[in-house]
Amino acid sequence: MFQVRDDEPKYAFLSDPDVREKNVHGKFIELVEKSSTLHGQSLYINNDAGVGDNPNRYKQHGFHFTADNCIACHACEAACSEKNDNPAHLAFRSVGYVEGGTYPAYQRMNISMACNHCDNPVCLKGCPTRAYTKFAEYGAVLQDPDICFGCGYCTWVCPYNAPQLDPVKGQVSKCNMCVDRLEAGLKPACVSACLGGALEFGVIENTPENRDQAKLNIPGFPTTDITHPNIRFQQKRSLPREMNRPDSMPLKYHRDDAQGKYVPVVDEAKGKPQRQWNLRKLLGSHENAHIIFTLCAQTVIGAFMLLMFGPGLGLSAVVTVKSEAFLPLFATLFVVLAVGMFKLNMHLGKPMRFYRGFNNWRLSPVSREIAGVSLFFGGMVGYGFFTTLINYELITLPFIQWLATASALAAILGGVVGFYYMYKLYRIPARPYWNHWQTGSSFVATALMLGSALILLVGGLVSGAQFMANMLPQLAWVVFAGIALEGIGLVAHARDLKQQGGEGAASHFEQRTRFGNAYVLRNVLLLLNLLLVAVLAAGLFTQPATVAALSIVAVLSILVMAIISRALFYVLVIPTTMPGAFFWRNRAFEEHARKTGLANMPQVGVVPDSH
Amino acid sequence: MLFGRKKKNPIKIADKKVEKWMYTTCGYCSTGCSIEVGIDAQNKAVATRGVASADVNRGKLCIKGIFETDIFEASGRGKEPLIRESIYDDYREVEWDKALDKAGAEIQRIQEKYGRDSFAIVSTGQLLTEEFYTLGKLSRGVIGTNNYDGNTTLCMASAVSGYKRSFGSDGAPGCYEDFENTNCLIAFGSNLPEQHPIIYWRMREAREKRRFPLIVVDPRVTMFAQFADMHLPITPGTDVVLLNSLMHVILAEGLEDREYINKYTNGIEDVEACVKDYDPVSAAKICGIDEDTIRTVARLYGKAGAAMSIWTMGINQSTHGSDGVVGINNLNLITGNIGKPGGTSLSITGQCNAMGTREWSSCSGLPGYRYLENPQDREDVGKFWGVDPEFFPKKRGLTETDIFPAIETGQIKGLWLIATNPMTSMPNTARIRKTLEKLECLIVQDSYRDVETTEYAHIFFPGAVWAEKEGVFTNTERRVNIVRKVTEPYANSKSDLWIISEMAKRFAQGKNVVFPDTPSKVFDEMRELSRGRMLDISGMSHDKLEKQRGLQWPCRDGEIDADGNTVGDQRLYMDGKFQHADGKAKLIPLPFIDNNEVPDEEYPFWLNSGRLVEHFHTRTKTGKVGNCNKYSPTPFMEMNPDAASELGVAHMSYVRVVSKRGDAVVLVQLTQRVPHNMVFIPFHFHDCVNRLTLGLLDPHSRQPAFKQNAVRIEHVDQQEAATMNVELRKF
Repeated sequence: MFQVRDDEPKYAFLSDPDVREKNVHGKFIELVEKSSTLHGQSLYINNDAGVGDNPNRYKQHGFHFTADNCIACHACEAACSEKNDNPAHLAFRSVGYVEGGTYPAYQRMNISMACNHCDNPVCLKGCPTRAYTKFAEYGAVLQDPDICFGCGYCTWVCPYNAPQLDPVKGQVSKCNMCVDRLEAGLKPACVSACLGGALEFGVIENTPENRDQAKLNIPGFPTTDITHPNIRFQQKRSLPREMNRPDSMPLKYHRDDAQGKYVPVVDEAKGKPQRQWNLRKLLGSHENAHIIFTLCAQTVIGAFMLLMFGPGLGLSAVVTVKSEAFLPLFATLFVVLAVGMFKLNMHLGKPMRFYRGFNNWRLSPVSREIAGVSLFFGGMVGYGFFTTLINYELITLPFIQWLATASALAAILGGVVGFYYMYKLYRIPARPYWNHWQTGSSFVATALMLGSALILLVGGLVSGAQFMANMLPQLAWVVFAGIALEGIGLVAHARDLKQQGGEGAASHFEQRTRFGNAYVLRNVLLLLNLLLVAVLAAGLFTQPATVAALSIVAVLSILVMAIISRALFYVLVIPTTMPGAFFWRNRAFEEHARKTGLANMPQVGVVPDSH
Repeated sequence: MLFGRKKKNPIKIADKKVEKWMYTTCGYCSTGCSIEVGIDAQNKAVATRGVASADVNRGKLCIKGIFETDIFEASGRGKEPLIRESIYDDYREVEWDKALDKAGAEIQRIQEKYGRDSFAIVSTGQLLTEEFYTLGKLSRGVIGTNNYDGNTTLCMASAVSGYKRSFGSDGAPGCYEDFENTNCLIAFGSNLPEQHPIIYWRMREAREKRRFPLIVVDPRVTMFAQFADMHLPITPGTDVVLLNSLMHVILAEGLEDREYINKYTNGIEDVEACVKDYDPVSAAKICGIDEDTIRTVARLYGKAGAAMSIWTMGINQSTHGSDGVVGINNLNLITGNIGKPGGTSLSITGQCNAMGTREWSSCSGLPGYRYLENPQDREDVGKFWGVDPEFFPKKRGLTETDIFPAIETGQIKGLWLIATNPMTSMPNTARIRKTLEKLECLIVQDSYRDVETTEYAHIFFPGAVWAEKEGVFTNTERRVNIVRKVTEPYANSKSDLWIISEMAKRFAQGKNVVFPDTPSKVFDEMRELSRGRMLDISGMSHDKLEKQRGLQWPCRDGEIDADGNTVGDQRLYMDGKFQHADGKAKLIPLPFIDNNEVPDEEYPFWLNSGRLVEHFHTRTKTGKVGNCNKYSPTPFMEMNPDAASELGVAHMSYVRVVSKRGDAVVLVQLTQRVPHNMVFIPFHFHDCVNRLTLGLLDPHSRQPAFKQNAVRIEHVDQQEAATMNVELRKF
């Protein structure tokens, strides 16, 4: 057990003389019934079989932060990193700030934030490996780095930036609520270290001594309705109407008198007034694996579904291509999807643990996506294999046909499930830019455009220009539908982002400024492609060579458009995290440090790019 | 578990496997926190925690203290002694004996050729008191140079000078407990939460229990200024005007403590005559604080009953630094706020042992607050050391800030720098480079091989750092506390006590003077020298200091409390008896002469500098501790967004700052924390703010005015600036 010193100061001890029955959201603070088998069990902290005698062991605990008092002295962060032995680039707790007013009526409000051990831990639900557990003890949400395979999905879904993906170790770790100290009746290390009188800890909804508020929100703190975080605030000093962030996020917080709170709005002063390219940032991010995987998977699933359902929908071209170019086509689908899945797997912090991706199929859309896509992949390979056996009459046993059909059905099922959860996993409330139906429409559009383009190209390559010209009119309408769907989605997306304000609007602002040139290029390409494909579909050209050449141009142009689109999708998302500081937790400084080589000094606290 | 894994793995929480906790005292600032260092089975220092029973910090530590064990094996530590013939040669590693022989021979050669005072010694506030005392013995009693000073001239000299002028002696009269008794606190140029977070915590705890008015005088809106009941955003360098005006109101409205003035002070008439000119209407025009505010503050302070003032570099680092301190002392003397609970002039000190060097290093005189100018002091110390009193100079020599100009013009040819880094800390870096180049012999004694001064050194002594050695520190409230050795010195580095004592053996006179070989024996000597004086430590011993988590001086032999514990006095001058010959305090008139470098058309911005909580001094320590350094890994400048938009300067872009001395490249942080006509740059970074500073010297303390300079802002090529910024950062 954690050793309490004989002279341990009073402020370090937990003190919750009275406890409420329910929290503000109506949830019981007592987490399990007295009779529950979960009572009286050891947490086995570092294999210690002891059971803490904390009287409030089964009550939900949480932090209390008096924003009026925080001096940003970093003692909480330091105490946390000292206790958890974290290197400079990793921190379970961080202090950021917002500031406003005009000299000398200037005010800065600091926010110290770690994990909020939420009632609804979206990290736990999102994690595909089941590395997370919400414990009956203290309501602590703990994560086990030994189970984690480093996909980072929990870092996407958490609105508070609590889970930390360590690019060096390739795994996530996070605040453990200092449960070892709680077992011994002590407050967490960060709280005991606080010098400003800002950070407190206890059973949730309890207002600490000498404090009189326990409210849900302060300016800069992300919305609490996503996860019901276990943190309460005191913030009584009146603040200027507008509070700015010192980091590079194009966001500030504006007091909305009607709502009686501060809401995030776009900070246009942060962006460059003119449109920029920033191509290296756009195409060189850590998310490249996702760009490749999603494009590949959607293309292949799209192509496969066209091959399966096209004939029934009257697409005679598909029937022809299936009979003329079956093996090359399926070989191509196999290679494309294999490449996508390989890239996705290799982006994991610990690729060898890939098999853990199914562990949380009950809760995690990621697990379901992986399961679906894997099933699809297996089914598709099976279908291709058995059909080839049949086509070349290599084995003519009756059950081969049955196997081929079963494989196709499996692939269809897997494809539908995988595709749906691939979309679903991006519907993250903490990432408003993604949390829109357009994510789905864009995925479907990609499947239609690139799926049919792939069939067209492979068909053309195998059977020649004339063949391509014959297939074209039908397939071009599918491509056209895809492009049109993408366009409609984008228009609605841009309109809704602007309307909803906040992080989504900030993403849209970045889309028009920092990545403005790529955004315009993509939009122009979309219109041109739509026109070109319409011309091809309408059959205005008949010369096979011309048709083939134009088709290839169109396919390449669509591919470029799809890549830019997808790259923008990943690079533009602005999560609803708390503000950073000028250096620490400032994305722009991290990028600057990597670019200039400052990051090569480990004490700068920024991990240099590994690629 | 509520949900998640059914089959639980054991919870893993970092376990540093601490085998034992060892008591020591923090080696950063002079708050004087007691730290326990956790030692693992491999004898490695792996953890820290604040000592719960220590009165100063009561279990707390700030960010620097929390990661203090990281400095033991930080990059850039000095491993072996190094020598070279000239500064364009490469260094060679040599045995200690060889390096010491060479150093001793060089000092003697230079002294023989150019005179005894042509070799200067500049020390620090970083060593242990026993080391300071021994260095003083070596410098004053063996080497015999009168050009011997500490880098405390850059931080505390004005406080020392002001205390001496007002009270007849150095020594802060108050203590941290005064926060619990005061009815009004004014902080002049002190950003407590950032510079002394633990003292801030003590202040805040006291204020949460019993709310008293807090007034912060600072041109920047620091966190402290924000939390103040009243923030006085003063025009830089005009504190004396504000102080005079506060006294004007107090005297004009009869709020002074006439009985105290008459009984315990001299000079009230001169002060009364002087402050007549500083009515709030006139003063407001100079110091930028409106007349109503001045009156409100003066009345608050005058009527408080017990009121206290604290200050730091905002007062000290000015051409009116010493006057500012005297002004604060005047204010407290006329209101009877010296030597009583909650009423004091408390200088919040910088370095861990700035107080120790002031008390015992003989920099400004002789040990134990003795003066060279006093024949009896020379006699006593000479006898005690076994040195002919005539060997001592009869007047104090040059201060640090006058030693460098004397090198520049050739009066001084050799220099021994101990644990100080003038290449980063002194104003006008270009001038310091030019100066150091001229030395025939520069000895650098430092824990870090990469301290920038090694660029110009001939001999490098790798020193042990902090708790790699044993001895005592004195903190801001005169509390002597013990640093226990918790780990062996890094590589072949040696304790400064050893280096200084070994150096003594290189001199003929050093063989006649006793240099005790252990810190506790040195402490015994100091204890004997202190008996019966104001600075009495005769009741202390190393073991008692650990047992009682530090003791405040005066601490007289035999004075114990009911529990049998040794006790020291919490406050000085409780009896109203001061150290001037007549036993009274002096009230000194302070006419204001505006000699600040002020902004003009060509250089339209005030340049202010200051400290960040995560860094210490010139970053030789904290610049290598990632968990400190990451919060400000590269130089930056706070600038007002309105001023920036007029110049077209963007947030997070590089600019070139130009003064009449030189230029510096910094990243811009736009914030309304600074006024339209001011920029702020932290002083920790090498080749940065001190390339710009003028550093006019205070006439009394010789402390440079770091905080009042004029600069302009220019655009730079962003790519070039970024590249240069990386090149300039070795750590």
